[in-house]
Amino acid sequence: MRVRGSRAYRAPQDSHLVALVAEGDATALEALYDRYGEAAWSLALRILADQSLAEAVVREVFLSLWREARRFDPARGTVATYLLSTTHHRAVDMVRREENLRRRHGPEKVLALAPDEPSGLDDEVEVGGLIRSRIRTALAGLPEPQREALMLAYFGGYTQREIASLAGVPLDTVKARMAAGMRRLKDELREAGRQEQFPWTPR
Amino acid sequence: MDPPVNHTDFEELAAGFALGALEPDEEQAFQRHLEGCGACRTSVRDLEEVSASFAYVPPAVEPPPSLRAWLRRRTGLTLRRRAARRIGTWQGTRVLVRALAAAAVLAVLALSLWNLALRDQQQIDRARIATLQAAARMVNDGTATRVALSGSAAESGARATVLASSLKDRGVLVIEGLPQPPPGRVWELWSLPQGDVTQAVKTIAFRFRSQPGVHTVQFSTHLTPTTGFAITEEPGPAGSAHPTSDPVLFGVPPPPRPGGA
Repeated sequence: MRVRGSRAYRAPQDSHLVALVAEGDATALEALYDRYGEAAWSLALRILADQSLAEAVVREVFLSLWREARRFDPARGTVATYLLSTTHHRAVDMVRREENLRRRHGPEKVLALAPDEPSGLDDEVEVGGLIRSRIRTALAGLPEPQREALMLAYFGGYTQREIASLAGVPLDTVKARMAAGMRRLKDELREAGRQEQFPWTPR
Repeated sequence: MDPPVNHTDFEELAAGFALGALEPDEEQAFQRHLEGCGACRTSVRDLEEVSASFAYVPPAVEPPPSLRAWLRRRTGLTLRRRAARRIGTWQGTRVLVRALAAAAVLAVLALSLWNLALRDQQQIDRARIATLQAAARMVNDGTATRVALSGSAAESGARATVLASSLKDRGVLVIEGLPQPPPGRVWELWSLPQGDVTQAVKTIAFRFRSQPGVHTVQFSTHLTPTTGFAITEEPGPAGSAHPTSDPVLFGVPPPPRPGGA
């Protein structure tokens, strides 16, 4: 029995929703948009600093899931990861393609996104708030060279080579910083409990 | 740089891959490697979960309603709407405001962040700060000017600020404590080139969907660093071409610092 309205889909696991989307259930897709649309939008907007480009990216991301849900492979990762990673990749691709976007968002601006800044509006969102505070705390706890490398890459779309050039260090140093930073974050977030991070994602 | 040859080389690329920070040729080489290496696929899966969490580092911003609407139309949840009421977007689509029923409740552009009664002073202050932050994000221009408005409405308790971006020709009016205009009337925001009220340019007409609260009204119009703003009460539903009464709120930007902006 199918209940109408995305509110009926609050409880199911993400993987269940993806299975429904694969069957052509548009309400299940909207439920995934309810869960991850805001995060995808906030990310795209942050990277692109342009509402119409950000909207184009997020539309494409959810549309790609709508089209490809049948081929979604849970072994490759969760649907949350898929949606947010795809958003990130498309946004960064766009920044790299559009030269004037890159000029608008210099490295100082990217680094100015302090991971531990209070935001005020986030407090109402329970689930998001938990992930939000965990990743921000974990990032803020990294040694500065590691954090900077990760932030420049993720939010600025800079390649390792470009970061090495910006920081005036060898490429291998940047690679090592990124690997070490990601390893530390992975351990810290895992300790916090994956179940708490994405409660709709079973492990 | 040398292409990766042994497996350690590939392992070192995994973090960069998850962050999208590899050069195109490295990324392709790594992608091909993934097809045949289960260990790296597992590693990448874990790392991508970490990098996906980065999406929660920036402040949360509410997506425009057009996004959800598009998704619903595209997946068949809703049929194509008749072009009746539309919500303004940053592409400069004009807001079409029209009376609905005999009650003449007018469509509103204002993005009210609060529709609860704000009784607690702390809540009100939080609401104000959060609204200004949200407004700053809407404008998304670090060089935007803040124009405080004052006047007779302010003396009765209204607080209004415009965040104006001359870079993007758009702004946000953050307003609180301005009462609903009488039925059949609207508030109208005017932009004033050089702060000259006799040159007032029609910008946007609005009513509030709910009261009380801190409201934001987004608008797009030509702006310069010296553009001022005024609000008058005008006949509904779409206001007037020129102000027909004295402003209840008015403000001009602070003068630029000597030596140029």
